[in-house]
Parts: sequence; C-alpha cells; structure tokens
Amino acid sequence: MSRGRAMAALPPPRSTWDAINPLRLLGELSETRYWMYLLLLPSALLITAIVLFPTVYGFQLSFTEMRLNRPAGNGAFVGLKHYQRMLADPIFWLSLRNTAVWVTFSIVIEFVVGLVAALALNRNLPGGKILAVLILVPYFLPNVVAGNMWALMLDSRVGVINDILVRIGLLHEYKAWFADPNTAMATAIFVEAWHSFPFFTLLIMAGLKGIPADLYKAADIDGAGAFAQLRLITLPMLRTIIAAAVILRVIGLVNSPDLLLILTQGGPGRSTQVLSLYAFQNAYSDFNFGYAGALSVVMFVLLMLFAWAYIRLSKVNQD
Amino acid sequence: MAQTRTGSNLIWNILSYAVLIVLALLSIGPLLWMLLTSFKVDDDIVTRTMVYFPTRFTLENYIKLWNQSGYPVLVINSLVTTTLTVAICLFTGTIASYAFSRFNFPGRTPLMLGYLVVRMFPAVLMIIPLFIVMRNLGLFDTSLGLAVAYTSFLLPLFVWMLKGFFDAAPKELESAARIDGSTRIGAMFRIVIPIARNGLVATCVFVAIAAWNEYLFALMLTSSTGSRTWPVGLQLMVGEFQLPWGMLAAGGIISILPVIVLFALVQRVMVAGITAGAVKG
Amino acid sequence: MTAKFDRRSVLKLGGGMLAASALLPHQAFAQQTAINYWHTFTSQSEAAGLQAVLDLFKAAHPDVAVTPENIPNPEFMAKITAAVVGGSRPNVTMVSSERFEDLLAMGALSDMTDRIAGWERRGDFDDKRFASITKDGKSYGVPGFTFVDWGYYRKDWFDEAGLAAPTTYDEFRDAAIKLTDASKGRFGFGLRGGPGGQNFVVNVIEAFGSPVKKEDGTIGLDRDIVVKALDWYAGLLVKDKAVPPSAANDGFQQVISGFQTGQTAMIWHHTGSYQDIASKLKPGVEFGTFAMPAGPATRVARLAYAYNCITNDENADAAWEWIKFWGEPDAAVAFLEKTGYMPASTVAAQDQRIVGNPMYKAAADTLGFGIPQPSFPGAAGWAQNTVLPALQQILIGQATPDQAADQIIEGLAAAIA
Repeated sequence: MSRGRAMAALPPPRSTWDAINPLRLLGELSETRYWMYLLLLPSALLITAIVLFPTVYGFQLSFTEMRLNRPAGNGAFVGLKHYQRMLADPIFWLSLRNTAVWVTFSIVIEFVVGLVAALALNRNLPGGKILAVLILVPYFLPNVVAGNMWALMLDSRVGVINDILVRIGLLHEYKAWFADPNTAMATAIFVEAWHSFPFFTLLIMAGLKGIPADLYKAADIDGAGAFAQLRLITLPMLRTIIAAAVILRVIGLVNSPDLLLILTQGGPGRSTQVLSLYAFQNAYSDFNFGYAGALSVVMFVLLMLFAWAYIRLSKVNQD
Repeated sequence: MAQTRTGSNLIWNILSYAVLIVLALLSIGPLLWMLLTSFKVDDDIVTRTMVYFPTRFTLENYIKLWNQSGYPVLVINSLVTTTLTVAICLFTGTIASYAFSRFNFPGRTPLMLGYLVVRMFPAVLMIIPLFIVMRNLGLFDTSLGLAVAYTSFLLPLFVWMLKGFFDAAPKELESAARIDGSTRIGAMFRIVIPIARNGLVATCVFVAIAAWNEYLFALMLTSSTGSRTWPVGLQLMVGEFQLPWGMLAAGGIISILPVIVLFALVQRVMVAGITAGAVKG
Repeated sequence: MTAKFDRRSVLKLGGGMLAASALLPHQAFAQQTAINYWHTFTSQSEAAGLQAVLDLFKAAHPDVAVTPENIPNPEFMAKITAAVVGGSRPNVTMVSSERFEDLLAMGALSDMTDRIAGWERRGDFDDKRFASITKDGKSYGVPGFTFVDWGYYRKDWFDEAGLAAPTTYDEFRDAAIKLTDASKGRFGFGLRGGPGGQNFVVNVIEAFGSPVKKEDGTIGLDRDIVVKALDWYAGLLVKDKAVPPSAANDGFQQVISGFQTGQTAMIWHHTGSYQDIASKLKPGVEFGTFAMPAGPATRVARLAYAYNCITNDENADAAWEWIKFWGEPDAAVAFLEKTGYMPASTVAAQDQRIVGNPMYKAAADTLGFGIPQPSFPGAAGWAQNTVLPALQQILIGQATPDQAADQIIEGLAAAIA
C-alpha cells in the first residue's frame, strides 16, 4: 500500500511500466467523475443477478392464480383478486396487527437494552472485555438452538424458569407461557429481544469508538450532564449507524418467521400469528403461491414505506 | 468542580457495572443451563422435580451427536460458506459503501434504498425462483452458490452498516491527503479504511454470524452429500418421535464454540484498533 | 400426467428473464445406477433402521447405489415443492399418506400401477394398504411401514382406581375425570392442542358421526355434529378440567414428557412413540396400550402409512428395485428391530416380535378396523391452519364450539374451492 502511495504521488513523466501499472491506472480512474459508479458496480451487479428474477417473479405471482395442488387454471392472470381477498380476510388483519406488536416491542427493547449495554461497555471499566463477550454471546446462537433452548427452559413441566419463579415465590405453580394468549406474544418478544439485542450493542459500541473524545471534553467544560451529552453528542453522531441498524432489524423481524415457527407456530389460537408466518403457511402447507405472493408484496410495500419514512424523518442522508 | 465530576463518574461506573452484570447474567444464564443440560442423561432432563446438577455426568449426548450428525463435514461446509460470504462482501461491499459515504451524486438516495429493497422481499417466496436461478448458473448445492445467495441479502446489510462507520470517520485527514497529491483510491485505502477498521471488523462479524447461522436457504439450496451446513444438521435432530433435549443442548454448545474462538480473535484486533484510534484522536 | 407447473412454465412466467439453459444431460457411464432417496427419518433408531435396510439392499443389489437424503420434517413440503417446480426431483421419495394428494396434484408422483400389479410380492399386502396412495384406480407408491393410532395409559393408576382401559369415549372421559387430582398435579388426559394435534380433532369429529369425506366422495361437515364433537373434546379441558392447562401449546414433546413424568394418565399417539415411552416407564406394569376408543357414532383410528414413491422418470427401474426391497420380510423385520415401527406387509406383520408382544395387541387389533385419514388436495393444510387454531381458541376461551365449528367449516369450503 505504501508503494501505491509512492506511485500515485509521483508526477508524470511516464515510463513503459507506468503506462501499464494497474495501480496508477486505478488511481487515474479514481479521479474521473464516474468513479463512484464504478465502485458501486460490482455489488450492484451481484445483487441484481441473484435477486432480480426472484423478486419480479414474486410480484408476478401476486397477480396470478397459482395453487400447486389445484393445477388446473394455474398461471392465469387474476388481477387484484388476491388483494381483494386479503382486504376481507380477518386472519390477514389479525396478522398485520400482531406483526406491528411483535416488531415494535422487539425493536424498542432491543435498541434500548443494546444502547445501554454499549454505553456501559464504552466506559472501558476493568473486566469490561469479559463482560462484553458474555453479553454478546446470545447473538451467536443459531435460531434453531435459541428457540428450542428457551422452549425447554419455559416448558410448563420440565422448565427451569418456572421452577426458579416458583422457588422465589413469583409464581405459585408452573405456567405454560405459550398456551396463554396473554403471555404468549410477550414471552416470544422476550426471547427475540434476548437473542438479538447484542446486534445493537456491537454496532453501537463500534460506532462509539469513532466519536472523538474532544467533543465530550468540550461538553464537560460547558457543564453538560450525562444525559445532555447523550442527546447532543452521542445519538447525533451515531445517527446513520442507528438508522441502518433499526431498518435492518425491522426488515429481519418482519420477514423472518424462524423463532415463532419454533416457539408457537402462531398459536395459541392465532395470538402470535404474524404476516411472515401466514405467508409461509399459505405457500408451503396450503400451496397457494398466488396469495402468499400477494402477502409478500404487502410486507414488502410496508417495509418500503417504513424505510422511506424513517430515512426522511431522521434526515440520515443529509450531510 | 473536579470533585463532583469524580463523584458522578463513580456513580456512573457503579451503575454501569450493575447494568453489565445483570445483562451478562441474563445472557449467559441460559447458556450455562444449556451446558448443564448437555451433560445430563435424559432422566435428569425430563423429570417431575427439577434436577439442577446432573446426577450422572455423561458425555453421551456429544458422542451421539458426533456420530449421528456428521458434524465435522457440516462445520467445514459452514466455514467455507461463511468465509466466501465475508470475502465477497468485503471486496464488493467496502468500495460500495465508501462511494455512498463520500460522494454526493445523482441517484444516491434511491440507490441506497435500492440496496435495502432486495432485503425486503420475504425469503419465503424467493426460495423457489432462487433455486431455479442457482440451478441454471450451475451453483446449486455448492458452497459458492450458497455464499452468493447469502451475499444477496447480507451485502446490503454490510454496505449500510459500513456506510455509518465511514460517515463517522473525519473527512479532514482525507482532504489533507488529497492536497498532498494522493489519488482518491489512495486516500480511500490509506486513510479512510484504516480509520474505520473497527467498523469494518464489526460489520464482518455480523455478516459472518448471519451466514454461519442461516437455515432456510441452506436447507433449500444444498443437499446432504454436497454443501449442507451445520444449522441444517442441527434442525434434523429435532425429530418428531424423540426427545432431543440433551443432544440439542450439546449441539448448541458445539455450534457456538467456533464462533466464540473467532470472536476472541477479533476482540484482540478491535482492542488494537481502539488503542491506535486513541493516538489518532 | 405431466406437471403443469414445471420449471419451464415458471420460467415463462418469469417473463423469460433468464435464459433457460438446458440442464446437462445425465451421464451414465458407470454400470452402477445411482439413485437418491428423500426421507424424513431423524432419530437415532430411525437412522439405524434405514442403515440396516440400506446394508441389506447393497448386498442384494450391487448394481444400484442408493444415496439417502434426510429432510427435516417441518420443511419437507417446502423442499419437495422447490425440487418439483425447479426440476430437480429425487428418484424416490418417502411420502406419508397425508401428503399424497397434494404431491399428486402438483405432479410430483409417477404412476406405478403396472409395476405394482406385476410385483411378485403384491400378494403379501392387503389391498387396503394401498388405499391412501391410490386415486382414480392408479397407485403411486408402495407402503414401507405404518404408524397405528393408539393410546397409552398409566396401568398402575388405573389398577389403583379399579378402572379398565377405556373402549368408548364415555369410558374414556370418565377415566380422565376420575384420575385427575389437582392436589397431586395429576391430569386424566394429555390433550395435544399444539402442533400436530389437528388430526385428533378430525378423528373426534368423525367419531361423532360427520365424516369429512363421504363415501360418494363429497367433502363437507355436519355443523351440529362438529359442535358436539368440539364441545366434548375441548370440554375435557374447559369443563371437565381433566387436561393440563398447557394443552394449547402442547406438541409431541410436551405430551410425551407429561406422560413420562407422571403428569397425565392417558395420551393419544401412535405406535411410533412406543420405544420412547418404554424407555421411561415399565411396559405392562406402569403403562399399557389401548386401541382408540369408540365414539358415539363410530370408531376412528388412523393407519398412517409411509409410502415409497417414484418421483423421477429417470432411472425408474433402479428406483423400483429399491422400493420393492422394503416389502422383503428380511428388510421389514430389520427395520422393525431397530425402530419398532409396524411393517406394512401382512407377512412381515406375522413376525413373532409383533405377535408375541402383548403390548402390540392394541395395534394388531387396530389394523383390523383402522382407516386412513380423509384425503383430498388441501386436507393437510386445512387441518393444520384452520382446525388446530379453532381448537386452540376454544381451549384458551377465545371461541365457543359454535364459533370454532363455523371456522372449521368455512375453512374446509375454502380449501376445496
């Protein structure tokens, strides 16, 4: 890299080597006005090649009759039929509401806990490094393991959590957390937050390292308290990182039914039924790919609206 | 003045410790329970009265798991896939997020949203067309194919996160280098990327973990004789007609071991980065 | 029958965005024919059983190499759907009877009628064994083994209370109520209201007198009977309190561990869980098995066969060799020894290990009167996504049996529309 610097910094006259030196050529290329597009090209091509066909296909499905176990009539264009059905489908509306609850509570808890942990870790206390590793470990667990492990610990017969809560007197008998509609969603959100809050911790921690210490020193001299510093320095400096993290997590929470598939499968009595689960069931146990496609498009549009609104409101993309 | 600041510092330190210890216990408690469970015989797991410590310490769960699941092959497949995914993201994603962070060009915001959009269409519906794409590209049931599929949704994550870290890196040093005659690409590699390396490492960790743990694509795009990965092997133990708790716990433990080793290594790099950063600041 | 929804039509649908590059022609230079076999065996005993059959097959047919591919059961349909649509089907697939109609409709299965008719071991199988893999006179698979619905009961508790194993729904309910003792944390019946519990609801509805699929092939339910059936079944929890309150989330693992740990006195399942129960409780002393009791209208117990089906026209002859092999008594008994699963062949079922074990008597009896599950395209999805949530809503007090019955009937109409 230091050679690259020497080369790039050298003024012309050009030797033969210089004319074909890839580093110099790249250096010159980087001065053209199309440079940023060239930087974007490889990733854009890769993503497009893989994702374009599946996404367009999904959109097309949503306007198509496609019930794999009713082959007659498949492939016919049906216009907005699936969307009209959705409007009148109580399970869709219920799933939408549950999705909103699931995403909102999960993201708020994950963000707040993640931020607090990152701020505490950023004080570089003795022993902090070990605590950091311990705190980050849940995120390393695959969903399959995290889900089943909590299912075991929360079990109404052999679950250790029930045993502990009974022993310390918070419960007087074992509770079936996922069989009660009042606790099923809350418990699932707890498990989700436990699993994913380190996502925010790790990101915010890395972001905090990039904030120049002088800013805080200056604020100290001005007599700003800890909360004022958080509000006026830390959060604004982390704006883009937080925005990226929130948007990416929301997408994950909306689209991925993994954890709920293991813990509740939408039960009891649809009290944890969310859109991603509903689309999955429509596709792979009812084989109605047209309707599943329409549900997916709705999820897609909702996520687009959310991302767009968030970016506008948080002014992330302005310098 | 100095007195009060030390005092408030002490309070914050105590509070921080309290928060961290509570969170660490919450995080690690279930894992310790999993560790204990993995050493128990079935009779100690499925019981009427809770058994906290194994009455008979056993390694049987690990032995059964090792024999039944083909762990070594699956873990190697997982490692290859994860490495490829991180490598592709690193090569194509770093420059892309640099472009988003440092240049204001027509179409920037729509393009950034465009990168997000690809993550927004639910994977559930993308599986079958993706399967067809992979077959046509000859990438079905290969680690490269799986890595490319992961890249399609992890690259946006990579680009967006890294942009945040690039944004946070001060622009003055870069301008100074440019004034000294450095090219844009020179400034990128010598100034901006080194400054943002904590972020780069953190971002790579995320991509690696996501690729390591991914299940649905791995199941759909691979077969047991080809490039099947470890999470699929784990799921296969959750059978219908058996109670797999002990083995599942053992599976959980051995699936996080490689990740913890990796993370311990990365921690050192991150710590080194912090010290270097202090000099810079 | 050609699939309407194959790779080509998908590509056409996609607007020809990708060039449909032809797949490389299959190369068969070697003498050995390679076939792959998709199955959902997971447990150690199942894996050992499959290995035993594979070993025997390898010795008998060195010219065919079978590569087994295990698929997690919950995602099995997703994986096979992608394979069918994406044009990369396995040679042989293990198909449980409830999945037959959906797979047939999507064009995954090959007609095996002629092969089966000409098979020298066809006589070993009762005609009924093929019922749930046959449609419009064509058969699409050969039964490999079977799960027979039955119940487990705590023999020690029954003896203590002076009760006999129930033979009717009334006796069943009485026993469940009598054996419930909240002070001891004991419940009469471990009702499966979580994942997988849907099939028992359908059984109870049919036992009360409303078959889902009538003899003339029409599909529909009698609302009054559905209400009565749901009222009785869910009533075991909401009225009789003879079921653990966790029922709405109790799947296989919870129901089995409830019985194993002495929380429940009776559970319903099938022969597949026998060894698991017997590993904790003493057969014939602590627990016994009973045939499914008779309902007010009829007695409903399911025989769920696992069929082996040809799912790819390529190498179909080799695939047929492998499928036939499961009907050999040696193979069936080797599989039984490892797993305890009942063979489908009548000859193999005469084996001493089954006939000589009194615990299997209930299963042997059930083979006589047991019936297959109601089968039509969409049946499995309806049971899972409509019937089960409806039951759960009664269990958690969010719906009355009337409301649940309406959901079930409307869902059925939508599923077959």
